[in-house]
Amino acid sequence: MDLITQSLVIGLSEYAPLVLAAIGFALLYRLTGLINVAYAETITLGAYFGVWANTSFGLDFYAVLIPAGLLAGLVSVGTYLLIFRPAKHRSVGALEMIIISFGLSLFLRYGLQLVFGYPVRFFEVPPPDTVWVLGVGVASYRIIGVASVAVLALLLYWFIQRSRWGLQIRALASDEDLAQVSGIRPLVVTMLIWFIAGVAGGLAGAFFGVASSVAPLLGWRQFLPILLIVLVGGAWGIGGVIVVGVATGIGLAAMTLQTGQVLYAQLLLIVAFLVILKWRGRRLTESAKV
Amino acid sequence: MNLDWLNAFLISGLFEVVVVIGLALLLHLELGLARIANFGVVGFWGVGMYAYGVLYVQVDWPFGDPWQFLVCLALATLAAGVAGLLVGWFIADLDLDGVLVGTLGFATAVAIVATTEQDWTGGALGLGGLRFPFDLDSVKSEELVWLLITAAVVAAILFVVWRVHRSPYGRSLIALGANEPLARSLGKPTFRSKIWLFALASAGMGFIGAFYGIMVRFLELSNLGVEITLAAMVGLVLGGSARVWGGVVGVLLTVGLFDIVIQSYLPLPRDWYTQTIPVMREVVFGATLIVVLLFRPLGILGDMRRDKLMRKLHGE
Amino acid sequence: MASDVVAPAAVGRPRIRIQGAAKSFSGRVVVDVDDLVLGNHPIEGLIGPNGAGKTTLMRMIMHSTALDRGTITFIRPDGREVVLSSLPAHELAHQGVVKSNQVIMDFDKLTIWDSLLLASTEARYEQPYRLFSERATFERHQEEIRHYLDFFGFSDPMGFAMSAGEKKLLDIVRCLLLKPTFLLLDEPTAGLPDDLTEKVMEVIKELAAGGTSVVIVEHDLNVIWSLCDDVHFMAEGSVVLRGDPQSIRENHTVVEKYLGEGHV
Repeated sequence: MDLITQSLVIGLSEYAPLVLAAIGFALLYRLTGLINVAYAETITLGAYFGVWANTSFGLDFYAVLIPAGLLAGLVSVGTYLLIFRPAKHRSVGALEMIIISFGLSLFLRYGLQLVFGYPVRFFEVPPPDTVWVLGVGVASYRIIGVASVAVLALLLYWFIQRSRWGLQIRALASDEDLAQVSGIRPLVVTMLIWFIAGVAGGLAGAFFGVASSVAPLLGWRQFLPILLIVLVGGAWGIGGVIVVGVATGIGLAAMTLQTGQVLYAQLLLIVAFLVILKWRGRRLTESAKV
Repeated sequence: MNLDWLNAFLISGLFEVVVVIGLALLLHLELGLARIANFGVVGFWGVGMYAYGVLYVQVDWPFGDPWQFLVCLALATLAAGVAGLLVGWFIADLDLDGVLVGTLGFATAVAIVATTEQDWTGGALGLGGLRFPFDLDSVKSEELVWLLITAAVVAAILFVVWRVHRSPYGRSLIALGANEPLARSLGKPTFRSKIWLFALASAGMGFIGAFYGIMVRFLELSNLGVEITLAAMVGLVLGGSARVWGGVVGVLLTVGLFDIVIQSYLPLPRDWYTQTIPVMREVVFGATLIVVLLFRPLGILGDMRRDKLMRKLHGE
Repeated sequence: MASDVVAPAAVGRPRIRIQGAAKSFSGRVVVDVDDLVLGNHPIEGLIGPNGAGKTTLMRMIMHSTALDRGTITFIRPDGREVVLSSLPAHELAHQGVVKSNQVIMDFDKLTIWDSLLLASTEARYEQPYRLFSERATFERHQEEIRHYLDFFGFSDPMGFAMSAGEKKLLDIVRCLLLKPTFLLLDEPTAGLPDDLTEKVMEVIKELAAGGTSVVIVEHDLNVIWSLCDDVHFMAEGSVVLRGDPQSIRENHTVVEKYLGEGHV
């Protein structure tokens, strides 16, 4: 029982940002069909923006979330306008598109390292209070993290499924020509998708950052788990991504507790998810894209 | 041998160029011909490097060099080949996303195993004890000889790739890359082709990885980062991913620029070389990848010219 | 003329049997064939209005479209039966079951010669350890390839197929080089000039006379009437009528509902 409650609490609190990041990535993937490797750096940038707002202006962590999310969202839109949109207009192939995003990812990652250097950065926040949940001590930021992720996920779900903009987004994703005829402005709607995805990534980055430290590799370390979660869970829509993301967090926590090595847990996760993807085979390719 | 005239940086720079050319040539078979983007090049070369290192250092062989070297090299190549077989099987019937996640996942798994199995690999402390399979009067001359041997290996790979373009095998790879369903309908077992392509190219990458490990003589986890994949990819894409010589030209212009020209010939402050230049290199490589694919997707050398080739081979 | 070709007995011909095969796209049933045997006659036509499921049925035979349910069996000339629907897609060509494509399919980096050599080359020459077998392959196959190149008159066979017609023709020649025992042709003459259409029809007749079963989907009904020994009429996903060309032409329902007076 102990292991189960511990894994539940640790898994949820520690990996909630992962779920948020996965939602953002899944939105971009499902709605634009692009596997954006540079999404990893959107997460990293969110963390850096957060630290910057925090240390330069003395904003507390909750206030920092606003600039972190907004700026990451703007950078996300910027990469779309500067790189992915021109690439699409030049009818760059899907394979080349992934390589471009891979190049952008490395450009941003090492660019950050060039600018900020090797030392890791920390949020200047008071040491977190420890909250006891089911007998497990959890830092208060992480509780807030879980709550924010839950709220944001609900908001996103509502936005995509219920709002007028969400309707336009879904229409654009399913049939661009038809959407255009129906008076939807693709550029605005696509920018909106990139913005929302960027905000989700940036916020996830800030949560990751406050829980440990901020370094150029922050987002890249999360990229493979995100990709796996989205490819495995994405077949069932955003809901599937959330469920698989949460399950991944709990599973990682449980395996880490069992083996005492977070790396073993990650290795098992990679193997398990690859097995699932292989087993599902080609059906993935048909169902995962809107 | 008096090698005072030879800068040690020049040897290591040239070696880096030669090694990355080898990887780019093998990547060309996958990316340029069969149109499969291998984002896990580092994983295969890492398997070769670490398998060689672990076998050479940790196993008590009843014989010494050169047999120890040859046996370990063969086993390391085999290990990388088997890894390629496995990854190839995984990606054979999956699309782009599957290839990305499979190759990237494999590379990550290799880095994790190298970290956790520290009794074998030395983990974060690194693994020492590798040496050249021959003795010469100075380390510098040993390195020079090793550079020449490696260059000969890469030249052999270049020859193989050059032959592939002029063989039915190469034609079947190009067909698989250009239109896989059509190739299948013509009776080409494309899944099997991909699996063997990955097995062979990966074995080659592992082979080169073992050579790299012998040159540096000390294996570190930092060798397993994404940098080597990026270097091979950017070189290939810049030079021309569809061309035999694309990898050679592109790697000379990218890795050659940073690891030979800047490293050995530019008068820059000393601490730049350890701090700024390596990071700058990755920034420039990333940007190059984007710019080339946006403005000249087929690289400097452009598209393959099968019409010219066919006229030369069977011309009238 | 159809009557020029003497139809051998049904036994011994390569045939394809489709049983209980169905395919739906987002809830709409496109193909639902209960039991259909193709290949009882040397050349059969498959006609019907747009959306009747002709192309989908052919794609189902070739694994280009997955079956929802059902089996497709190939009855070889020697009488042995092979379940096509459980073979890997690339095995079909080895069984002699080959299809030309309705939409233009090409390897855009391969020249015409490349493409034809690719089709004729046996798997054992395409191994990575046989890097010096190009010459031998070329010599083995150049004669038959040259035969088709001369027959159809490609403008620059060492170069790339340029026009849509040339690509279409290339697709057909690739199929012929595979030495099919069962050849499916999906609108083989669409986009071809008349003289080439004639030549394609000539080759098809030759092939059928040699024992190959040919099934043609074609919109140009003149091709069907002059070439086929038997015609399957498909509508709404299944074959509703079959018979010799004459009887189909004279069937009032078909003519009124689907073909229009002009075609008769």
